[in-house]
Amino acid sequence: MNLITTKRNHRFLKLLSQFILLLWTTAILYPLLWTALGALKNNKQFMLEKPWALPKLPLLWSNFADVWNRYHFNEYFLNSLIVTVVSTFLAILLSATTAYILARFAFKGSQVLFYVYLSAMMIPMILGLVPLFFLLNDMGLINKLGGLIIVYTAWALPFSVFVMVSFFKSLPKELEEAAYIDGAGYNRTFFQVMFPLARSGVITIGIMNALNTWNEYLMGTVFVNDPGKYTVPVGIAVMQAEMQFRTEWGPLFAGLLLSMLPVMVMYVLFQRHIVAGVTSGAVK
Amino acid sequence: MINTNKRTWFILSFLFPTFLFFTVFTIYPIARGMYISLFDWSGSSEFMTYVGFHNFVELAKDSILWKAVANDYFLVAGKVIGIVVLATFFAVAVTRFKIRGAKFYRIIFFMPNIISVVVIGVLWRFIYNPNIGILNSLLSIFTEEPVRTPWLGQAGTALWSILWPSIWAGVGFYFLLLVAAILNIPASLYEAAEMDGASEGRQFWSITVPLIWEQIKVSILHIAITTLNGSFVMVWIMTEGGPDNATQVMGSYLYQMGFKQFHMGYASAIGVMILVISLITTLVLQRLLRRDETQLS
Repeated sequence: MNLITTKRNHRFLKLLSQFILLLWTTAILYPLLWTALGALKNNKQFMLEKPWALPKLPLLWSNFADVWNRYHFNEYFLNSLIVTVVSTFLAILLSATTAYILARFAFKGSQVLFYVYLSAMMIPMILGLVPLFFLLNDMGLINKLGGLIIVYTAWALPFSVFVMVSFFKSLPKELEEAAYIDGAGYNRTFFQVMFPLARSGVITIGIMNALNTWNEYLMGTVFVNDPGKYTVPVGIAVMQAEMQFRTEWGPLFAGLLLSMLPVMVMYVLFQRHIVAGVTSGAVK
Repeated sequence: MINTNKRTWFILSFLFPTFLFFTVFTIYPIARGMYISLFDWSGSSEFMTYVGFHNFVELAKDSILWKAVANDYFLVAGKVIGIVVLATFFAVAVTRFKIRGAKFYRIIFFMPNIISVVVIGVLWRFIYNPNIGILNSLLSIFTEEPVRTPWLGQAGTALWSILWPSIWAGVGFYFLLLVAAILNIPASLYEAAEMDGASEGRQFWSITVPLIWEQIKVSILHIAITTLNGSFVMVWIMTEGGPDNATQVMGSYLYQMGFKQFHMGYASAIGVMILVISLITTLVLQRLLRRDETQLS
């Protein structure tokens, strides 16, 4: 008797959970789908029809061309791409070298140095926002992609060092010893043996930094005021602010969709690495 | 001897560039931010007057700041409760209740985590839009008059309307963390409990929760820190702190003071407060959560 009620309870619980999971799935997917559909509508449809109405034929593909050319998303994409690629590359180089030393060449204070990098993950970057602005200004790097590349690289270092240290620590020591015996110097051992072996870690931090940089808004808006140098998130924020004066929702939705496209593609390709990357950051 | 030299040179050549970069663009700005908080400074170099702790005295008297602190804690509390409850529930559902499609849910739920906060903010502004938004249109189905609530435009609903997308975007990550934690629990524990006739609820409270407490604790701390340090982007995009400071958080107030009104000293003092408040919060939470852990085990 008791067993049957528990069984029935269990069935009910399972059904209820399944329902709630599906509800949440809808809550996640529907707004994204809504964006995609909105990108194909004109203003009249936004104003007069229900928000969930499907876009009318002919689909307004011109919204994409509008946002790409007339709203300068072509420039924003190029800016974001340059900043993301260069700072990701720099962050990998700078963090992998330091992490290798911290993982393999213990010296007096190496532990302290590690914790200095680690603790920077806890400190709100916004505290340094005002001084960083004036520092870049003095260096002539305000309104320059170079300035953004620098701050994004610095911003990525603590997390990258942290991940790379644990990666290098996990590699067997015999490989380096073999390289040394073969007569390879320190530099060659690192670049030709150890760095390629840590590929998985490099991919993880590379993707994480690329995602963070592509999505970053605050520093992008504070350090760049020249519309020709806007990154994608800044461009979107500016465009949406303009919507108070002229309403072009279709192109804005198209812009939102376009900006998500690269990260979604990366998510599909590197899902495992992304999940590994974010979780390793939290469990510090 | 030559070998040691080579080694030292190698170590330095690998450490130095990174450390220089880190010192100039991370440590220096943060230290300098603390220093500037002791000055009255509009940003132009001539007029930088030392005022000691005057900025902090002013902050203590600034009702907008306390409003911002309260709003920050509202978001922390709301996100901690909302995200932890939902993520735990989802994690238990796909692991313990053996609901099919665990992998599917993992992929979908995590999606908002990789989208820019700007995109999420703009998207939700449209969901809340009084005229063309989904929310009002949905509600209008159940009412005679069409609903025209300006969710983000009135003090009573604005902060709640920012909280919801923050939860929406945050759940997936902690869901993954907790799924991994639950999968690490030995199945034999649950089998033994089942033999003893323990109900699902009993198993959840006596096995699952104590054994994933470490990850729940990490989640709570992580949510609290990231919210205190970074909630302002969502706020800035959705309401710019308005209406009438109803959604002001410390970060958005700092941005407004520094880069809209050019009170650089005052803005830096707010930055120092953010640091102090997030450190204190971390310590207090760690204390509170540790005590709970010993009680449970």
